[in-house]
Amino acid sequence: MGKWINKSMKPSVEPDSEDHIAIEDLARLVDGAVEKAERQRFIRHLNRCQRCYKILQETLKDVSAEESLQMVPSPWWKTRTAYALAASIILVLLIGGPLVFNYWNPRPQVILATLKLDQQLKDILLEDDALRWEKGKRLNRLLAALQQKGLQVKELNLVVLSKPYYQKKSLFGPAEVLQIRIENNVAYLEVKEMNQ
Amino acid sequence: MDPEKILSSDKVLEKIEGVCKRHFSAENDQNECYVFVIDRLKSDNFKRLRAYKGKSKLSTYLYSLINALVVDFRRKRYGRRRIPSGVVKLGKWAEAVYRLVCWQKFSFDDAFDFVRIDGLFEGTYEQFLKEIAPIRNAPCRENPTFQSIDELRGSPLQNIVDSDSNPLESLIQKLDRERRIKALRVIRETTEELSEKDQLLVRLVYGSDQPVSVAAKVIDLPASAARGRLKDLLTKYRERLLAEGIREP
Repeated sequence: MGKWINKSMKPSVEPDSEDHIAIEDLARLVDGAVEKAERQRFIRHLNRCQRCYKILQETLKDVSAEESLQMVPSPWWKTRTAYALAASIILVLLIGGPLVFNYWNPRPQVILATLKLDQQLKDILLEDDALRWEKGKRLNRLLAALQQKGLQVKELNLVVLSKPYYQKKSLFGPAEVLQIRIENNVAYLEVKEMNQ
Repeated sequence: MDPEKILSSDKVLEKIEGVCKRHFSAENDQNECYVFVIDRLKSDNFKRLRAYKGKSKLSTYLYSLINALVVDFRRKRYGRRRIPSGVVKLGKWAEAVYRLVCWQKFSFDDAFDFVRIDGLFEGTYEQFLKEIAPIRNAPCRENPTFQSIDELRGSPLQNIVDSDSNPLESLIQKLDRERRIKALRVIRETTEELSEKDQLLVRLVYGSDQPVSVAAKVIDLPASAARGRLKDLLTKYRERLLAEGIREP
């Protein structure tokens, strides 16, 4: 409050009038619903009567505060449209989310297969004792062999063999299979006997 | 309109509670104020509520009525306090100082400025300090929970307004005591020469910090016109102050 100005505009000894403005007239003044002639009369009184001025001033504060509260628009996120929009977005996310997720975050494809260890595969495995094959002719041969056998493998960057493969001496030994797991273009190979 | 229904509505009870809380800091006073207002509203078969003729908004009427009753409560509770005879003997200036310091919680320094402005005390500050000794000793703090409407939003000394929104107050605050007293006299004299509407406009905007749009509605001017009017009035104050040799330091 303008302490100095307020004080300079009213005497320290406040004269009070007995003929106060009626409460409803003060309310009308606040609402701006007063005729010109009576407004002049009220304003003249207000400039002299501390009590009526105080009531007017306090009422103005209360009404302004209430109006400003009412005028504050509800936040956009509390509107019916926003709720409907939010519900739609949630539905779309629920339905399409997994698809979008898969699209943007494709799961690494894992191929699991067990192939009869035929002579073609044996030849590739027997080329040397290396347990890790980087890109090269041997790896390309394995890739081609796997594709021939129907595996959907597009590319291989590395082959990891669990242990070196040696030809079985027995002609009647147990049949062998090659267990393959391909993940992130890396093929993990393990030769197992059929009865294992 | 059913007055009983109005008075039992939560919104109205909240209004009463809110206004009482705004007027009194002590919980006890707030509660007594609340009870007083409700009793008065109920009295004589809801006479005060029945007096509503529908010429204003009901909400505005209720706020005016509640504020009027709170003023009555304050007067009933504290208005009978007498100014101590020792102070009365000193004269009108001392009574004014007592009211300012004890009832409105202004400082003695501020009180000195005000009684000088009112022409109630003509002596120097040193004389004032000597002569207020009996007031200092007077029992003026027997009810420290009393709060005047002027200090609803804290101590008057804390009510320093934003200088941008109140150029007059800002100027006054920057002046030394003698120049401040002189400036306030010029402002008072200039204000007294204004039309009734302009006086109320200045007092509401620069004395009570009401928004211009709110004050404009009371004096029935468009807000833009009220702003223009205030600009002209400030120019007038400035010219008068400059003519008296008062300028912003």
